[in-house]
Amino acid sequence: MTDLDLPAWSEPFVGQRRAELEHLGPFGVLDRDAAFGGSDGSGVRVAIIDSGIERDHAAVGGRLIASYRVEPTDEDPIVVEDPEAIDVVGHGTACAGIIHSLAPGAELISVRVLGPDNRGKGANFAAGLIWAIEHGVTVVNLSLSSRSEALFGLFHELTDEAYFGNVLLVSAANNVPGPSYPSLFSSVVSVAAHDVPDPWTWYYNPRPPVEFGAHGLDVDVAWRDGGRTVATGNSFAAPHVAGLAALIRAGHPAATPFEVKAMLAATANR
Amino acid sequence: MSADRRRRLERDALSLLEAIAVRAEAGRRLQGDSGRAVLRSVVEATAALFDAEAASIALYDAASDRLVFEVAAGVQGQGVIGLSISPDQGIAGYVFRTGQALALSDVERDPRFGRAVAEQTAYLPRSIVAVPLVSDERTIGVLEVLDKRSAASFSLRDIELAAIFARQAATAISATRVERDVASLIASSLRALAAGEEPRTATAEAIVAAATADLGRDDESGLWALADAIARVRTADPAQLELVTDILDALGRRAGRDTRRRRRARPGSDAGEVR
Repeated sequence: MTDLDLPAWSEPFVGQRRAELEHLGPFGVLDRDAAFGGSDGSGVRVAIIDSGIERDHAAVGGRLIASYRVEPTDEDPIVVEDPEAIDVVGHGTACAGIIHSLAPGAELISVRVLGPDNRGKGANFAAGLIWAIEHGVTVVNLSLSSRSEALFGLFHELTDEAYFGNVLLVSAANNVPGPSYPSLFSSVVSVAAHDVPDPWTWYYNPRPPVEFGAHGLDVDVAWRDGGRTVATGNSFAAPHVAGLAALIRAGHPAATPFEVKAMLAATANR
Repeated sequence: MSADRRRRLERDALSLLEAIAVRAEAGRRLQGDSGRAVLRSVVEATAALFDAEAASIALYDAASDRLVFEVAAGVQGQGVIGLSISPDQGIAGYVFRTGQALALSDVERDPRFGRAVAEQTAYLPRSIVAVPLVSDERTIGVLEVLDKRSAASFSLRDIELAAIFARQAATAISATRVERDVASLIASSLRALAAGEEPRTATAEAIVAAATADLGRDDESGLWALADAIARVRTADPAQLELVTDILDALGRRAGRDTRRRRRARPGSDAGEVR
């Protein structure tokens, strides 16, 4: 497959290839106890930019504190409250359920960027991201990305703004060739799926762009209308790392996005 | 111009028009069918490789704002052809909107999942993988594979393999769209020309002269290419249609000249021999 121009981002994290991830990091003494000990994510707000979150879904545990949606206008899209708190697909609820299972104390905020308007998909996504950066969340889960080359500059600016504004962006890698923003920018935590059925197993890849591998194969997830399903994809790997990041941020409020990423790398499976 | 010559020209122009119509229609049919044939072969190959119950391709139709299932393979897939769904709902909608490939299995655990679509197609899958069709920077549709027979779910590798097939399909689709773009380019040039100050007949003559300037006496391909392209213009307004008619007339005159030249050449030496 290597001769095909395909970004097989999961490949380094799967099966025998994992042996190549051996990497002597500089954090010999930092272990999971130090990074996560006693934390349940309390005090951390996680935004999930996706298809919405079902407020009453059992998997969300009543932790959805606010729901917003992006509404297209004649000019730039705007972000408005979404009191219904619905999920038009099930995907956002799946991500929320994963984050809640790892960080049950974290507060969840839904920013729905999928709606009836097909125009300006990338612009809607950007509007949701801007809102999250400006509203006091410290972890943002992005299980989606934009292909629009025209938005390269905007997303680059936004990831810098997030990074310097102490907001950690966790972004699913896209398995399809071509540009994918912001998942391939260096300041985000980019995630692909591995094939170990364990939410507490994650890998650090010293050969970017995709730095982390997390549980993403046959994940038991929440789905729409109170249901559940079994899902596979980088989409479901990202919220595992977002949940871990929420735990770290709760236990180490002074840690910057760079330091949170370093702690995730230091505590990854070897 | 003698009545005789005029009749001959009209006859030549008429036969040329007939030939153009036949060729353009054949080309259109071939083009439509071959585009679809490539898509069909992609879903058939996908279903065979995965040993899946079904595979299908849905393309986004901007006019109706729907994802329309264009082709499908597998016995269980046939019911989906022609079905259209909203692009902001369900697995296909999510993949289309986000460009994010994903797979679901154990689907029947959620009885409400995809029920509306499944009822229309009389088939509810146990597992499904959906990947986006990406052309340039845009997602133009979704490739879905349903129910791999050898396993209960799709692997990460399956998602990547499906993405390779999706790329084949997207390439085929963008190739046929380029053809369509050429036709619309010609249509817009015609619109600009028809709106111009120049007398239409002179414009038509100029277009034909430019298109056939480098034409060898025995090489009609350039002429035919122009004729084909013009005959494909179907959305022209009345003013443009008059210009199209003038161009076809000019082409007819040109063809008439060529025919006369050949007639003159025929009795001559070997050097002047034409087929």
